[in-house]
Amino acid sequence: MGERAAAASLKFVTVQANSASLAEARARVFEFFKTTCRSIPTVMEIYNLQDVVNESQLRSAVSSEIRRHAHITNPKVIDMLLQKGTEELHNIVQHSKQRHHIIGQYVVGQRGLVHDLGTKDEGTSDFLKNFYKSNYF
Amino acid sequence: MAAASTSSFIPLKPRPTPRGLSTIAVLKLGAPLSFSFRRPVLAPARLRISCVAKPETVEKVAKVVKKQLALPAETLVTGDSKFAALGADSLDTVEIVMGLEEEFDISVEEDSAQSIATVQDAADLIEELVRKKCA
Repeated sequence: MGERAAAASLKFVTVQANSASLAEARARVFEFFKTTCRSIPTVMEIYNLQDVVNESQLRSAVSSEIRRHAHITNPKVIDMLLQKGTEELHNIVQHSKQRHHIIGQYVVGQRGLVHDLGTKDEGTSDFLKNFYKSNYF
Repeated sequence: MAAASTSSFIPLKPRPTPRGLSTIAVLKLGAPLSFSFRRPVLAPARLRISCVAKPETVEKVAKVVKKQLALPAETLVTGDSKFAALGADSLDTVEIVMGLEEEFDISVEEDSAQSIATVQDAADLIEELVRKKCA
């Protein structure tokens, strides 16, 4: 575990030169993904996420974020997205964020806000749920 | 060059400064140096041993693969199943390798990771790394 965490330490984050081709951008995406996955144990320890989520769930959250942009073919756009991702990872690992940020953005994620997952509405009918959401269903 | 490479010879590309030198440089200069961590280089050319992995290892690998690709439990995942045939794209393959790293607590080098195509490859690589770690 120690060598994995050491392998992923990001000391200083600077902008790299533009990637020459789509293949190089693709390689950089995989590198970024691997660095992120190797930082996941550190993140879980910093923010005390052991009871909330496990590592493979965080990994799939990361990969779904990457997959959202999987259709892009312009290397410069990919570089820009990687820069944003690296900055985000750097902020998380340096503890610039707080626990509720991580939980809200990556644990609960796109599935819905926390208050929607409460038990208050679970017994109600589908009609009522749709009615609360909008006028047209 | 590597054009006539045999099936078991994977030459590593030369890597720049190892980690120890970079940290020393940071302390000396005081100004932030921009570098990303590079893992230390192993022996220059690694001969890949194609020995048979233990069946438990193959089983564990198959379990990780099935969970990652969300395959139903009845799907037959044997040593020869290719990741691409099971419906994994390249990101899935990387994620599976990461899952295996976590499960077996090892660290897979990039060049070795490139050459993984089937479940058996992954199991062999894992066996080798575990053996090296415990040795």
